[in-house]
Amino acid sequence: MAATFGDSSSWSTALVKISPYTFSAVGIAIAIGVSVLGAAWGIYITGSSLIGAAIKAPRITSKNLISVIFCEAVAIYGVIVAIILQTKLESVPSSQIYEPESLRAGYAIFASGIIVGFANLVCGLCVGIIGSSCALSDAQNSSLFVKILVIEIFGSALGLFGVIVGIIMSAQATWPAKSV
Amino acid sequence: MSSTFSGDETAPFFGFLGAAAALVFSCMGAAYGTAKSGVGVASMGVMRPELVMKSIVPVVMAGVLGIYGLIIAVIISTGINPKAKSYYLFDGYAHLSSGLACGLAGLSAGMAIGIVGDAGVSFGSLRPYRGHHLVFSGRPI
Repeated sequence: MAATFGDSSSWSTALVKISPYTFSAVGIAIAIGVSVLGAAWGIYITGSSLIGAAIKAPRITSKNLISVIFCEAVAIYGVIVAIILQTKLESVPSSQIYEPESLRAGYAIFASGIIVGFANLVCGLCVGIIGSSCALSDAQNSSLFVKILVIEIFGSALGLFGVIVGIIMSAQATWPAKSV
Repeated sequence: MSSTFSGDETAPFFGFLGAAAALVFSCMGAAYGTAKSGVGVASMGVMRPELVMKSIVPVVMAGVLGIYGLIIAVIISTGINPKAKSYYLFDGYAHLSSGLACGLAGLSAGMAIGIVGDAGVSFGSLRPYRGHHLVFSGRPI
């Protein structure tokens, strides 16, 4: 492995010793784990308000399950991207694991996983908070439901941004071709 | 094959993390702005339902922050191509700092939009609407 300029700093010396498969695996785990965390957080915020408000206004229950579905969609984005990322993994011969191209592929999958995971986390939280206030205001005045739902749709677009960038970045994960 | 890879080996780590920072922090700001002003709109709408559609402006402003982050993340991510163009640590650090700049600015703008939007729609319901949405454009551009 040729010594490049970057090897003289301690960051680089540590980073090149970590296998790209480590980075990829952690990235995939974060993509699905943190997305599901965001979805669960949003669902419990929405669900507890919904159930409480439905005591006095039972008519709101079936309509406001849409908020729960928006939160759940965030977890599904995480699953889809995790599956896509793990199909990007290829096995390279052990002589080529620390090639610059393999390292780059590992970093790309890692960053893609972080993007999707944390974007879905904040999206789930946002949709959960708005869903809870949607349920509470719907219980007071049923004409407000559709209007607050518009705000929820803006919130759920954030998860989509994460998925788009995650998939674009995963196209950078090209491993070196096997040399026979 | 990999001999066409020119540049430093660990530079793409910083470059990709810059793209990640751009999107993640902007989305955090957008989420905070949307959620905080959305809660204000919902609680104001109980008293004045006719003002709800006008009060969605801070939510739209906060959503735009996510789009800024998306654009910068895509620009950075497609600029990391060590086979076509040498990618040194300089480029990696430049991408990291541009991603952090966009992301953290978006985070702060989103927090500002959230707090101001919440206060604006709540207090705006007390008076006749006079177009005070100009104060919501505290965005970094």
